[in-house]
Amino acid sequence: MKKIRVLIAKPGLDGHDRGALVIAQALRDHGMEVIYTGLRQSPQQIAQAAIQEDVDVIGLSSLSGAHRTLFPKVVQELEQRNAGDIPVIGGGVIPSEDIPYLLEQGIKKIFTSGSTTDALASFIKELMQVNGHVVSKPKKIAHIGIAVQNIEQALSFYTDMLHLDLEHVEHVESEGVKVAFLRIGETRIELLEPLHEDSSIKRFLEKQGEGIHHIAIDVDNIEARMTQMKTNGVKFSNDAPTQGAHDTKVAFIHPKSAHGVLIELCEQMKGSE
Amino acid sequence: MNTENKYEQAWKDDCNELSKRFPEREDQFTTSSNIEVDRLYYSKNEYDEEKLSFPGQFPYTRGIQPTMYRSRFWTMRQYAGFGSAKETNKRFRYLLEQGQTGLSVAFDLPTQIGYDSDDVMAEGEVGKVGVAIDSLKDMEQLFDNIPLDKVSTSMTINAPASILFCMYIAVGEKQGVPLEQLTGTIQNDILKEYIARGTYIFPPKPSMRLITNIFEYCQAHVPKFNTISISGYHIREAGSTAVQEAAFTIANGMAYVDAALESGLDIDQFAPRLAFFFNAHNNFFEEIAKFRAARRVWAKIMKNHYGAKNPKSWKLRFHTQTGGSTLTAQQPDNNIVRVTLQALAAVMGGTQSLHTNSRDEALSLPTEDSARIALRTQQIIAHESGAADTVDPLGGSYFVEELTDRIEAEINAYLEKIEAIGGAVQAVEEGYMQREIHQNAYETQKRIERKDEIIVGLNKFVLEEEVNPDLLKVDEALEKAQINALKNIRSTRDQAAVDNSLQAIKKHAQNQSSNLIPYILDAVKAYATVGEICNVLRDEFGEYSGI
Repeated sequence: MKKIRVLIAKPGLDGHDRGALVIAQALRDHGMEVIYTGLRQSPQQIAQAAIQEDVDVIGLSSLSGAHRTLFPKVVQELEQRNAGDIPVIGGGVIPSEDIPYLLEQGIKKIFTSGSTTDALASFIKELMQVNGHVVSKPKKIAHIGIAVQNIEQALSFYTDMLHLDLEHVEHVESEGVKVAFLRIGETRIELLEPLHEDSSIKRFLEKQGEGIHHIAIDVDNIEARMTQMKTNGVKFSNDAPTQGAHDTKVAFIHPKSAHGVLIELCEQMKGSE
Repeated sequence: MNTENKYEQAWKDDCNELSKRFPEREDQFTTSSNIEVDRLYYSKNEYDEEKLSFPGQFPYTRGIQPTMYRSRFWTMRQYAGFGSAKETNKRFRYLLEQGQTGLSVAFDLPTQIGYDSDDVMAEGEVGKVGVAIDSLKDMEQLFDNIPLDKVSTSMTINAPASILFCMYIAVGEKQGVPLEQLTGTIQNDILKEYIARGTYIFPPKPSMRLITNIFEYCQAHVPKFNTISISGYHIREAGSTAVQEAAFTIANGMAYVDAALESGLDIDQFAPRLAFFFNAHNNFFEEIAKFRAARRVWAKIMKNHYGAKNPKSWKLRFHTQTGGSTLTAQQPDNNIVRVTLQALAAVMGGTQSLHTNSRDEALSLPTEDSARIALRTQQIIAHESGAADTVDPLGGSYFVEELTDRIEAEINAYLEKIEAIGGAVQAVEEGYMQREIHQNAYETQKRIERKDEIIVGLNKFVLEEEVNPDLLKVDEALEKAQINALKNIRSTRDQAAVDNSLQAIKKHAQNQSSNLIPYILDAVKAYATVGEICNVLRDEFGEYSGI
């Protein structure tokens, strides 16, 4: 198997490379080839080195507070050289409130103080399993699932009062539910009615009554995504994706991992839609 | 009179002599139960000139002064600096109002590596880890309304130390303070930059020359200034053990002594102005023993190896900072407790000055609240704990004395290895110390990940949900403002004077036997910038590119 090649780089003027050196050695111990740039690298130099060395991933380390300026610059320099597909991850002294900004700027992940080298290594390995590409961002909400006692009775509210169009109705035997899809913009509302006593929708209705049951997010690479999330401690209701309604593969994230919301990952099978 | 009594008598005489200038804080120290606390506890039978003498006597295991903190507390010196000179000046004045007794300047990275704020290399770094200083103008603002004859100032500056030091002298002159009254310390320790801290500019040889130029200049003109602070702090932060910290620092110290001797300076003239800077980590007794052992090793080297005659040359005086890398981003308030333990170890170890870290330093620069708690920690140790009421309270402890002896032996073993390599400069160039430190850093990380080493709140006693504390933010607009101010200086100064002074530096840089300090002083007075002066020197000296 080809070894994963990693560039560890110190952008800016910060001279603290204890972390960078420790990580370089840890990744080598995990069987990767690691190139360390040394101190004081400009974003241009880092992008050039990454291309020249043909690396699979770049790790940036900064402890001086310059990450907000320099990390996004590395991503931009890569894009300018048509190498925007090389994922960039970062670490160092980085306040948690800066992380959303950095992710928005195209950094794939920030490892802060206290992260283990093993977690970093497995993150990189996961990245590489998805064909060297990071799983892309979910594009939209596929549907919002609403549990109802009886579809026939509920439907008239959605079609007559809200003026939504009924797309189709089907039985999903694996989940023990009958579902109705109503289109709204590029997403849908999914009404769920239990088919028998063992259905999870039945239990939901008994516990909480009618109401919002889950939110489904449209994703690609559902298997790789699941593996990656699982290594990061996210819990799923089932181990592998199952056949969902409307020609999809689906997986449910346990509400405990998603702050109380049942989230369904939902991948359209090729050729449908 | 037998030998023991002779030393005891000498110590008592020292105490009496000292009390004329610095009387003890109390006539009689007591505990809460009114038990009298003596100046020193000692056993006359255990007196040993190799190991345990009286405080203020060779080899200084029990401290470099006869009465230690009974006369004066250590200097409470908090390292501070961020953003602009104006902002940092405000923080300095705040800290002085809060009872801090010395200043310590943190410079931003462009300043430390000799780039002006508008240099492309400075992008994103201006004012981030310290104050941005481009020209004398910034330095004037930094010490605005702070009389330099009243405070002592420590400056963490290394590769361009000569330039920032000259700016400090120039500010002093403008305030009307005679040079011989200026007190403070410049870090000026380039070897540990190559080893651990990374803010080098020039290769070792010309760097060592700049350092000896400073020694020589200060000896003649600024006699009360500490010309170097030989630093183990950053070596430890980079991952060394306590023994490696002390050993590599002392090895570097010997390299500076060698360089100064080689340039023709007299040891008893420059050695009394050498200062040290150590770290304090969590292993309480080991840290205390490390300080005691380092004093003993240095005293013996200076006296026996170099033949220094002046007792002031034998004394290892040191500043301590608590260990930044021991702080956790998780449950940051726990760091206050770590800092307390480390600070107490430094005091038990006989430090001359102390910086206590703030609880939020694993996350960002400290807020004003955090900086105040850090200073209060020292004040509580000084005024409430009683730890300062007798000299070397742990002296004679079987454990501490044994640890001190062992650490001394292990330091000496390292010194022999480094000598075999050809001295500290050679060892640095071969990467010997760097490898030793990295090896230990890696093993430490593995131990923590395996939970063989417990860090409370990090790998044990972890909280599920962390509260995000308020953090200090350096305003992103600062970089622009600093660049504008710099442009303004460049357009209003006497450019011909700047050019001439830079030309003079260039000429004298080429002449090995010239002392560069007077020429650098002329240049900073003409408002030449840190970057401009460093660029002249880069052209002449070349740049160090790491190994």
